[in-house]
Amino acid sequence: MFPLKDVEMGAFTFFASALPHDVCGSNGLPLTPNSIKILGRFQILKTIIHPRLCQYVDISRGKHERLVVVAEHCEQSLEDLLRERKPVSYSKVLCIAFEVLQGLQYMNKHGIVHRALSPHNILLDRKGHVKLAKFGLYHMTAHGDDVDFPIGYPSYLAPEVIAQGISKTTDHVPNEKPLPSGPKSDVWSLGIILFELCVGRKLFQSLDVSERLKFLLTLDCVDDTIIVLAEEHGCLDIIKELPENVIDLLKKCLTFHPSKRPTPDELMQDKVFSEVSPLYTPFTKPVSLFSSSLRCADLTLPEDISQLCKDVNSDYLAERSIEEVYYLWCLAGGDLEKELINKEIIRSKPPICTLPNFLFEDGESFGQGRDRSSLLDDTTVTLSLCQLRNRLKDVGGEAFYPLLEDDQSNLPHSNSSNELSAAATLPLIIRERDTEYQLNRIVLFDRLLKAYPYKKNQIWKEARVDIPPLMRGLTWAALLGVEGAIHAKYDAIDKDTPIPTDRQIEVDIPRCHQYDELLSSPEGHAKFRRVLKAWVVSHPDLVYWQGLDSLCAPFLYLNFNNEALAYACMSAFIPKYLYNFFLKDNSHVIQEYLTVFSQMIAFHDPELSNHLNEIGFIPDLYAIPWFLTMFTHVFPLHKIFHLWDTLLLGNSSFPFCIGVAILQQLRDRLLANGFNECILLFSDLPEIDIERCVRESINLFCWTPKSATYRQHAQLPKPTSDNSGVRSSTPYFSECPDTPKTDLSRESIPLNDLKSEVSPRISAEDLIDLCELTVTGHFKTPTKKTKSSKPKLLVVDIRNSEDFIRGHISGSINIPFSTAFTAEGELTQGPHTAMLQSFKGKVIVIVGNSAKYTAEFAAHLVKMKYPRVCILDGGINKIKPTGLLTVPSPQI
Amino acid sequence: MKKNRERFCSREREFVYKFKIGSQCLELRVPLKFPVQENVSYLHGRLMLLHSLPCFIEKDLKEALSQFIEGESLRDYDREAEASLEAVKSGEVDLHHLASTWAKAYAEEDHIRACKPEEPSWDEDFADVYHDLIHSPASETLLNLEHNYFVSISELIGERDVELKKLRERQGIEMEKVMQELGKSLTDQDVNSLAAQHFESQQDLENKWSNELKQSTAIQKQEYQEWVIKLHQDLKNPNNSSLSEEIKVQPSQFRESVEPNGRIYEEQRKLEESFTIHLGAQLKTMHNLRLLRADMLDFCKHKRNHRSGVKLHRLQTALSLYSTSLCGLVLLVDNRINSYSGIKRVFNSQGKEGLLFHEFRASGLLSESVKQVDLYPDTQVKNRVLANLNSGNRNGGSEDKSKNADRNYLNILPGEFYITRHSNLSEIHVAFHLCVDDNVKSGNITARDPAIMGLRNILKVCCTHDITTISIPLLLVHDMSEEMTIPWCLKRAELVFKCVKGFMMEMASWDGGISRTVQFLVPQSISEEMFYQLSNMLPQIFRVSSTLTLTSKH
Repeated sequence: MFPLKDVEMGAFTFFASALPHDVCGSNGLPLTPNSIKILGRFQILKTIIHPRLCQYVDISRGKHERLVVVAEHCEQSLEDLLRERKPVSYSKVLCIAFEVLQGLQYMNKHGIVHRALSPHNILLDRKGHVKLAKFGLYHMTAHGDDVDFPIGYPSYLAPEVIAQGISKTTDHVPNEKPLPSGPKSDVWSLGIILFELCVGRKLFQSLDVSERLKFLLTLDCVDDTIIVLAEEHGCLDIIKELPENVIDLLKKCLTFHPSKRPTPDELMQDKVFSEVSPLYTPFTKPVSLFSSSLRCADLTLPEDISQLCKDVNSDYLAERSIEEVYYLWCLAGGDLEKELINKEIIRSKPPICTLPNFLFEDGESFGQGRDRSSLLDDTTVTLSLCQLRNRLKDVGGEAFYPLLEDDQSNLPHSNSSNELSAAATLPLIIRERDTEYQLNRIVLFDRLLKAYPYKKNQIWKEARVDIPPLMRGLTWAALLGVEGAIHAKYDAIDKDTPIPTDRQIEVDIPRCHQYDELLSSPEGHAKFRRVLKAWVVSHPDLVYWQGLDSLCAPFLYLNFNNEALAYACMSAFIPKYLYNFFLKDNSHVIQEYLTVFSQMIAFHDPELSNHLNEIGFIPDLYAIPWFLTMFTHVFPLHKIFHLWDTLLLGNSSFPFCIGVAILQQLRDRLLANGFNECILLFSDLPEIDIERCVRESINLFCWTPKSATYRQHAQLPKPTSDNSGVRSSTPYFSECPDTPKTDLSRESIPLNDLKSEVSPRISAEDLIDLCELTVTGHFKTPTKKTKSSKPKLLVVDIRNSEDFIRGHISGSINIPFSTAFTAEGELTQGPHTAMLQSFKGKVIVIVGNSAKYTAEFAAHLVKMKYPRVCILDGGINKIKPTGLLTVPSPQI
Repeated sequence: MKKNRERFCSREREFVYKFKIGSQCLELRVPLKFPVQENVSYLHGRLMLLHSLPCFIEKDLKEALSQFIEGESLRDYDREAEASLEAVKSGEVDLHHLASTWAKAYAEEDHIRACKPEEPSWDEDFADVYHDLIHSPASETLLNLEHNYFVSISELIGERDVELKKLRERQGIEMEKVMQELGKSLTDQDVNSLAAQHFESQQDLENKWSNELKQSTAIQKQEYQEWVIKLHQDLKNPNNSSLSEEIKVQPSQFRESVEPNGRIYEEQRKLEESFTIHLGAQLKTMHNLRLLRADMLDFCKHKRNHRSGVKLHRLQTALSLYSTSLCGLVLLVDNRINSYSGIKRVFNSQGKEGLLFHEFRASGLLSESVKQVDLYPDTQVKNRVLANLNSGNRNGGSEDKSKNADRNYLNILPGEFYITRHSNLSEIHVAFHLCVDDNVKSGNITARDPAIMGLRNILKVCCTHDITTISIPLLLVHDMSEEMTIPWCLKRAELVFKCVKGFMMEMASWDGGISRTVQFLVPQSISEEMFYQLSNMLPQIFRVSSTLTLTSKH
């Protein structure tokens, strides 16, 4: 990423052509609006970064197919040089020519042709270097197909471009599509521009458009294009004065026949540039985060470190990349449309004036005049950074260059730091819209991510606060631990050969998060297809289940220009959270998952659980898409982001808590309704407050003993050596359950047994922890410290009193199962039952020597709406070997 | 040219790569289809995998492959370019035609590069001026002026009606006398001639009045527009203001107007119920729905008896006239646009009183009469209508045809609609006149019925033209009749609800889910019980948003 430096941001707008009324594509679905197609194609342009090109930053869709493109911009252009009406010195002409060719060559390497080269699209930065603007217009409009206006400027069109004419092709006949213009047509345009610079005037000004074009086509018959052009404009003497190599260059550019004209690449190697080319060093693309080559390979520190500090300038913002500046500009109240309206580029007619008079049944309308405000005006408007700079004027340099030490005190100590820590307590939605706060977070994350994987722990730590939206893609990758040569890996996967799953993928993609512009564009569909196929092909033991598409969507959206990263993230996500969910026969995995889920409902919300069980509304009916897609099927992208920001910090049992939190938001409606209404309610899930959902699921997670969500089909814990580094930094809520298995851990039980139990089992290990028999503080979390360091817990021993006296867990109470309940199912009164009642709402662990009785006892308690009831796995016998049982004595 | 293109396009070429393994010389041949769509690195990866190529040729192969593709593509570009140049040279493609196509494209689509000065457009300028004024202190004056014009026209209409009535009465008496004399001193001949005479004089009178109306509205319109422009200019340079003085001095109140006939149903209780709904599976968009028991024309009519409300309603409508949130209304009409009866007649008289002073292009307004609405502005449309009506057997040139069209094609088909724009109806700016036939009265229309398709097109126009509030007759009828039983009503309401829901979901993909208000109107004559049945049905079809509960718990 290059810093913004002294360039500016500009915006221009145009309309995509409207689609014909009610035409369907070959797949029977409505056609994608042209503006969305353009938006999809635009994305790749953002990655084409070269000092000679105006970097593209953003595209946005307005009403009625309007598009606004944001890109780097400079106020000066060759147009200004021409306006002086003086010939430009030949050495300058050569430099300009070479710089333009550099830009063209780089574009061509990425398969892009300019086609709209003209003096006002060749901008000059403050140092007088060339920057090509609007270089992606021809590419993003599908070679002009998706817009009504012609691309290019009449005087500068190459003869073959004119000869090819304007032909609109439609989606239906892709094979008849003529080839677009090649890279050589830009060389012609450059030739005309250089000619104009040499003679100091614009060509063809006296001719109207059609005469100009006719004249250009007749140049075929002449021997020397340069002479004819010069004669036509009465500047033969100037041309004759030009040095040999400039004439040579012009001649080469203005070769009528494209087959004889050089490409930009060839022309750059030409000897006419022998004086100029040594002045320029070839451009090398900076190495990105996940590349196989060493990022620091070319990094050299100067001998004298103090030299680094030499060119300190106080304009820190200019040192940030243009994407960041644009993002902050938007946050600081920048409004593209308003800027364009102020400059009178957007002048829309009141809609009432453009209504048609009559419509046929097939939707064809009449009496609708053409809105002249929809015509093209491709003037670029400079976006003023004043407002943003004003907003950030109090932000000190420390915010732009935070120190990344491992200790706690790395909040920037500028005068706004107080404000900043105050901002950190505000709701997420507000934080995400706060300019200063986001600036701080972006800079911090940018630096941390540059130091990934070295700074992995600190990324985890900061991600627990929040993740700045601009950095989300890379941060997620870091949280998922993506590493290695992901590009090479992805390139090597065969994403093209047809496989049997293709049909299903093809059906699912046009139904997956299509409200989103990026994902509904044809470009998005193609990327979807490739990433999904790559995953299916490279995981032969797993299969494509519907829902994988939804799971792919957030990763693809965040890494739209980096399929390899999207693929890598998805491949890392699935084993962590959805281990074996995509087996060909995944029923045992899912069944176990859902059973644990219903135990979690009973654990946290017995009343709801009782009701749902009563009406037979079991999780199988609604929760499969939740967990199979990790909620990506039920929520829109912007909610998924907030949910997953937290999910990625938790372990594989966190999703249970999210599920319970969702149910709790719908609690009143579920409790009030019967089976049919519940089915209806979930068929079209009502709006869920996602911030509340996240908050509540964290809270639920803190109350859940880690072994309560034990699943035998979960991913086996990795060898500790592998992630010991991560482990130390992950206890967001509590330890991951991937601690090594010991005798005191939970043992797997058959699914049917699991299903028969209403309440979850917990391991002896957990019990010991919870009773503080050995270790303390497992439920400590950074956020919950003050509330209660440890939930109070009651152990209920249901063996008969003789056994109890022989030895029990200290602090436990004895309510023998045989006498616990009356015939009506009420608790029998007694000192112990009173104790039990007083502990309602705390964690209650039932201990016994018969699994059947303990489960029944627990079920009884759940019936009586006791929350947080669980069973000791393996019963009292598990504890016996530990020697922790005590024999009651008068005082303990 | 087409032939050439096909030849160059989908063309397969073979990429040959030779490499050595030890002493063995191997050759890789890959047929490639040009132009190559696939990413070179993916292609390369696939080749490596498919042919299990050794890794030491990886880099070399990639280079060779990309060079091959680049070179061949360039050659294709050249060939294609040369072919098109050749086509022009050989005259296969007409040079002049080519140049004029380009010139036309530049002229029509972009005003900067073609350097064509903009032609001033009256309605747009007027729109700006009006929009400025209505948002200035002058708004009240403006509305008063409009109101005064409106009152004077309605007085004129009243006079006309009185005079016509008098004439008819007189003629009736005369005719009675003649009838008594029939067979005595007068013959049938005499009666007939008298009748003819009467008819003629009636016609004369009607013509006289309609001319007068036309004239005075034209005068009013001109006066009004000139006044508006002048006022605007005066406001711009306040030093020589004669009119702005007028504004400062509060103008007289609305002129009293005579309420001709208070409608009976105004006394009937207006029932209404509002809903906020969410549409969409993942991303939800919020919309407002309202179920109303009211007359369609209530939205048009100025309620002259509550005067304070009039001004507010008027102001509200006038403020948003040139904005991007318009209000629309669907009126059901029969297929004869030249006759006016029923709702059309009533609407027309409203429209006539509520004169439209704003010159809208192609004058799609009802201010004169539906008869004169220029429905088919160009011959192309006429021809289509002609084809539609299957009467293409007329002879004569297109001139002749268009004349015929005027006379004969005034019928529109069900599902088609015309749009009129109004500046001064009480609550709407746009009226969609949707043509329906007697079929809507039957109980078995489907979602493919032209009337429903018409609704869809109407909603689409709403989308493209920023009409954010639209009122729809829920039962697709304006008046109840005997065959419309309770089951009929429920069935129809369900159909329209469901279809509108579908269309609204579709709209979200057209405009990105802008929040809208849709009002469903049921006729006044429907029972209260029926109304509540319908309002119970609505939340079953639309997902009503959950109420936001504010608790201190969280």
